[in-house]
Amino acid sequence: MYTMFLLSVGERIAPGLHDLDAAGRRRVAAIVERAVAARPPRVRRQLSAFLHLLRWLPAARYGRPFDRLRGAQQDAVLRWFHDSPLAPFRHGFWGVKTLIFMGYYGRPEAAAEIGYRPARAGAPPFHAR
Amino acid sequence: MRDKQVDIAIIGSGAGGGTVAKALSPLCRDGVSVAVLESGPRLKEEEYTGRELEMAERLYFDGGGVLTRDRSVTLAFGHAYGGSTVVYTGTSLPLRESTLRKWNVRGLDFDDLQRRSRKYFAENHVHLLPDECINDNNRLFAGACRTLGYRVEQFPVNVDGCRGSGLCNLGCPNGAKMGTHRVQLPQAERNGVTVVTNCAVDRIDPAARTVRATVRREAIGHPPAWEPGEYRVRARAVIVAAGAVNSPAILLRSGLAGDLKALGRYFTCHPALILVGQHDHPITNFSGHPKSYYSDHFAESEGFLLETCMYFPFVTAKSLAGFGDEPRALMSAMDRLQMILVLALDAALPGNRVTVNGRGEPVVDYRLSEPVRASLVKAMRASARIFFASGARRVHAPAGRTFFVEAGDSDRLDDLIPLEGFKAGKVSVSSAHLMGGCRMGDGPAASVTDAWGGVHGVPWLFVADASLFPGSAEINPYITIMALADRVAERVRGRLPELPQ
Repeated sequence: MYTMFLLSVGERIAPGLHDLDAAGRRRVAAIVERAVAARPPRVRRQLSAFLHLLRWLPAARYGRPFDRLRGAQQDAVLRWFHDSPLAPFRHGFWGVKTLIFMGYYGRPEAAAEIGYRPARAGAPPFHAR
Repeated sequence: MRDKQVDIAIIGSGAGGGTVAKALSPLCRDGVSVAVLESGPRLKEEEYTGRELEMAERLYFDGGGVLTRDRSVTLAFGHAYGGSTVVYTGTSLPLRESTLRKWNVRGLDFDDLQRRSRKYFAENHVHLLPDECINDNNRLFAGACRTLGYRVEQFPVNVDGCRGSGLCNLGCPNGAKMGTHRVQLPQAERNGVTVVTNCAVDRIDPAARTVRATVRREAIGHPPAWEPGEYRVRARAVIVAAGAVNSPAILLRSGLAGDLKALGRYFTCHPALILVGQHDHPITNFSGHPKSYYSDHFAESEGFLLETCMYFPFVTAKSLAGFGDEPRALMSAMDRLQMILVLALDAALPGNRVTVNGRGEPVVDYRLSEPVRASLVKAMRASARIFFASGARRVHAPAGRTFFVEAGDSDRLDDLIPLEGFKAGKVSVSSAHLMGGCRMGDGPAASVTDAWGGVHGVPWLFVADASLFPGSAEINPYITIMALADRVAERVRGRLPELPQ
């Protein structure tokens, strides 16, 4: 239920997400949902609570929830969580960021896009031995 | 519940369990039955795909994402036929004499440990890779260390037939890494040992001398040696070698904490950072062996080691502090990244410990101490110097005031990478060297086992893995685990005739 919001936050965390087509975004969402589903119920509840906080805490300052802020305002909110004086907020943001990076960089096609092309066959100097 | 009876039950098949299994396997010829109970799968060759998320899920506990209770450190440890030896880089160094002196375990002799370590150098094909097999990522590190006057050494590694695919941490797809899954376990099986994969051990019942375990059917890997179901395994001797998180957890679930005050305590883990520098041009980094050099130049003075490394896209991204365009820019240059792994040599503290929660699951309490945080920040500065001496254009230091430190600012590293920039959660700390929790020592007041891995007061129960370490190994731990496991096997062999059926 929070995947859509998570992906909207993800566009600020991994801007390349914005450029993906619908199929690419579905692949990111599938990876994230699978990872979340594998976590214990307690962790899923904590993630849900943190996303709720991330969505509504900005209303206290900007009068609007996170998803209705301009990009620069969203970045300011995320930066505050990232470097927050409160460790639970930093850890919560780290968890969200990790999920987004897992979804975005965990796509098999992401590797080639960023110049990472390992080969099972390995490297020529090893073959000569 | 099905019943099984064996003479020796070994829980875990990694560097400890695999070594014990092989060392005890000649007893099978005399009719001694030995079973290894391994929680992970035994993958088929074609299931080593090299795909990051897929292999992490297959070969690591919780996909490599086990968090400490306060979420400040991610713990990565394997579960597979061969345990973590399937997913390490094969680095094989013996324990230093100075470290053994710090451990101060009466009856644990340096010469004995050296002799046994050498045995596993030979058995697991440990050697130095020739110069032509060293890639740019490693060569640049070694050259820069020499330029800067930092002591640097080549890692001996246990590979045979390495193709340089660079995928060691995802399980070698070419079967070249000589972990226990390639050497000790197959030999043990040839001698008659049964290895039961997909077999999770819940607890040991000390009164009945039985191990409670559940064998699962999994969609991947070879089918387990025993039918899926719940088992009660009666054994004359039980050897716990499930790693520094799960070994203490099994003993805690087994109700042994009452007599053993140190059980679960003094957990250490070499808290680590993955650091990156970006070059202007592509370098060879993801092909070739990823970990060929290390520097212990700062080990004594500042408490950290530097090692070469090369990680995969998700793990690399996760290691960056920050979000948005800057990480994207860095990540889009994977073929131009130089990487260093920093390991803090953390002290063994009683408050850093493994416990079990109400559901019996292990929980790791670990606090990043001030000395560790200071070490890691100093290591970021040292690594930045190495990156710049290697010719990097810019560097990412997670505690830095800015996402990038540019080469032109390399004379201001102390200012640009301040101690106060290190905040848990902001800086992504991980660990793959999990140690302690069943520490060796003189008696039950301050330790869990004796110098031979025998649990105090329980003559049939032994521990044979990194949980034995009374303190940090201060170097990659696998050969030391194997050397200690060899001692444990010797003790079990000697004691077995005294143990009742």
